[in-house]
Amino acid sequence: MEKPKLIINGKRLDGRDFEELRPIKIQVDVLKRADGSCYLEMGKNKIIAAVYGPREVHPRHLQDPSKAVIRYRYNMAPFSVEERKKPGPDRRSIEISKVSREALEPVIMKELFPRSGIDVFVEVLQADAGTRTACLNAASVALIDAGVMMKGIITSVAVAKVDGHIVLDPMKEEDFYGEADLPVAFLIRNDKIESIALLQMDGKMSVDEVKEGIKLAKKGAMQIYKLQREAIMKKYMEDEEKEEV
Amino acid sequence: MSEDILMDIKRDYVLSKIRSGERIDGRKFDEFRPIEVKTNIIEKAEGSALIKLGNTQVIVGVKMQIGEPFPDTPDMGIIITNAELVPLASPTFEPGPPDENSIELARVVDRGIRESEAIDLRKLCIEEGEKVWIIFIDIHALDDDGNLMDASSIAAISALMNTVVPASKFEVGDDFNLPVNDIPISVTSLIVDDKLIVDPSRDEMSVGNNLFTITSNKESNIVAMQKSGSYLLDEEKFYELLDLSVSKAKEIREILINQLKGGENGEN
Amino acid sequence: MRRIVMPGDLIAKNPKVAGYGTYVEKGKVYAKYLGLLDENDTSIRVIPLKGRYIPFPGDVVIGIVREISANGWLVDIYSPYKAFLPVTEYPENSLKNKKINEVLDIGDVIVAKILNIDPKMKVTLTMKDKICKPIRVGRVVVINPARVPRVIGKKGSMIKLLKGELGIQIVVGQNGLIWINGDKKKLNIAEEAIHIIEKEAHTEGLTDRITEFIKSRKGEVCGEAEVNN
Repeated sequence: MEKPKLIINGKRLDGRDFEELRPIKIQVDVLKRADGSCYLEMGKNKIIAAVYGPREVHPRHLQDPSKAVIRYRYNMAPFSVEERKKPGPDRRSIEISKVSREALEPVIMKELFPRSGIDVFVEVLQADAGTRTACLNAASVALIDAGVMMKGIITSVAVAKVDGHIVLDPMKEEDFYGEADLPVAFLIRNDKIESIALLQMDGKMSVDEVKEGIKLAKKGAMQIYKLQREAIMKKYMEDEEKEEV
Repeated sequence: MSEDILMDIKRDYVLSKIRSGERIDGRKFDEFRPIEVKTNIIEKAEGSALIKLGNTQVIVGVKMQIGEPFPDTPDMGIIITNAELVPLASPTFEPGPPDENSIELARVVDRGIRESEAIDLRKLCIEEGEKVWIIFIDIHALDDDGNLMDASSIAAISALMNTVVPASKFEVGDDFNLPVNDIPISVTSLIVDDKLIVDPSRDEMSVGNNLFTITSNKESNIVAMQKSGSYLLDEEKFYELLDLSVSKAKEIREILINQLKGGENGEN
Repeated sequence: MRRIVMPGDLIAKNPKVAGYGTYVEKGKVYAKYLGLLDENDTSIRVIPLKGRYIPFPGDVVIGIVREISANGWLVDIYSPYKAFLPVTEYPENSLKNKKINEVLDIGDVIVAKILNIDPKMKVTLTMKDKICKPIRVGRVVVINPARVPRVIGKKGSMIKLLKGELGIQIVVGQNGLIWINGDKKKLNIAEEAIHIIEKEAHTEGLTDRITEFIKSRKGEVCGEAEVNN
């Protein structure tokens, strides 16, 4: 298949500027049974995340006497992609689950809940590039919604190199034909980016382009962070609005 | 379990050494262990390499078969990378299907080879949309004394550089050397406090598994990166890692090229 | 209205005021979970909006006996941690000449108090307190544990209201389980009222509205005018 031109007249195929995110929609507390939940759309990605816990861990040998055990399951629904995906975890999902869990683990105050478990389940209902970052954003909101104790908020976004340009939040075509993909997650505390919680990259980029990419990802992450907060505020303001003065 | 006790006991020693600017084996923070490569050690494989990185040993075998291309890349060969952390390599490895660590290992090695375009996959097309070569890269850990990641990457590219495509056996022409255009080199560092320690040994890993792997190609472009481990990384530290990894990769590539020149008969 | 805070929000610069729901790093006080900021001159804390019940010494909880051992009972208290009630923490006079499973059997519901919690979160219960008892009658209502303070109300005002208006018994477990006992029809009203309180929280004039609600439901369900209670 011939690679199409991905940048035309300084705009991307979906009309976006280089530093522009896809539209994002976040809803909080969408599932009754879970302790915390979130539905998130990022472009055509449709993600649902649920958090259970802290709760008892079974079987018992999986417990850690000094801290809570965090589990993260990234799963793609069979209908989420063009060609039906075989249900269940494949190697890609297992790797994504691992690095995503490792992004959340240092942020969750797991030493406060020895022997317990906190489960984060994320389902990709529709995929359109950047699912691991969209999933982490949804998981982060679901964790807050569940009342889990954390140092701050995790926010994630990818940048890509497309036709020689560094662009924010690549969609399907850019991910497929682009030169490089660089998903990142940050710990944000009190409106400030503190550190990198997840970083992967595949493709080809110079060292300077990687640095430029991180700077752009930080800008995008701050915008997503604001939307994550707004969504939670919206949900709980409705409940609290009537609070006595 | 006894392994865990040893790790716990060693932690304080390793940590205090690192904090005073030293490593327990006397290496500098940015120093790799000695690398030793032997190629073509498995006759049944189309390409193979055994690498020793200090005491860490990994063997990679390359097998080739003919198969159908992926529908979205009908004129390109296929790379399939797999890693087995067999129980013989470490008291902590269990028999069974690949766990997340071996999957991550295989996928990061795979990305380095794939994204550096080290192998010209278009030259592995036999009949567009019908028949292409499939390269199976199988990573077999023999002794895990730390940093299986870099040992596996070096073993994989060494094996590929010595792979002969068995065309005559499949009656599709004459055998030819697998076209390899690049030597991607991964550099894995352990992050301890604010210090970066390249090529960590097993004992050094007792302080934690805060790892970061950066793979670069011969033009010093970054082709793959992976933060691995439950930790938070400072942005400035990351930039330090980038520069460190690229410069180390150059050095390791030179060592590897020299070794492969000298070691054509399996000896150097 | 109280400010809603999220994990990592900076809420104070004096570590001396840090109360529950906060953590201190480099002398600054941050929120550690989603909640409402509650501050006065001497302390700052975060009242949770959601979350599981985490045991705290002295809390009254309601639980279900799940296992019996030679020296006590393992009790599910609707938290990440099961609690242990040693035989020695059961009132002696109720133990006389009884087998352990005749005192409390699997499935029995109890009101108990958290005696202590060790650093590994091993929770020990006691029943040597006059509020503690096995529950053989009435029913248990489950609410979000973060909303318990609201059901209790200011200085127990909401509980007093329910008791007074409906003539029922109530014990509120800090773990979100509430025991109610009394006339069946009135229990239904109480349960409905509890869920309204849970949902509408400290809304202005809630006490009045709950009073109103109970009275009108009493009229419908029990055929009573607002006469007796």
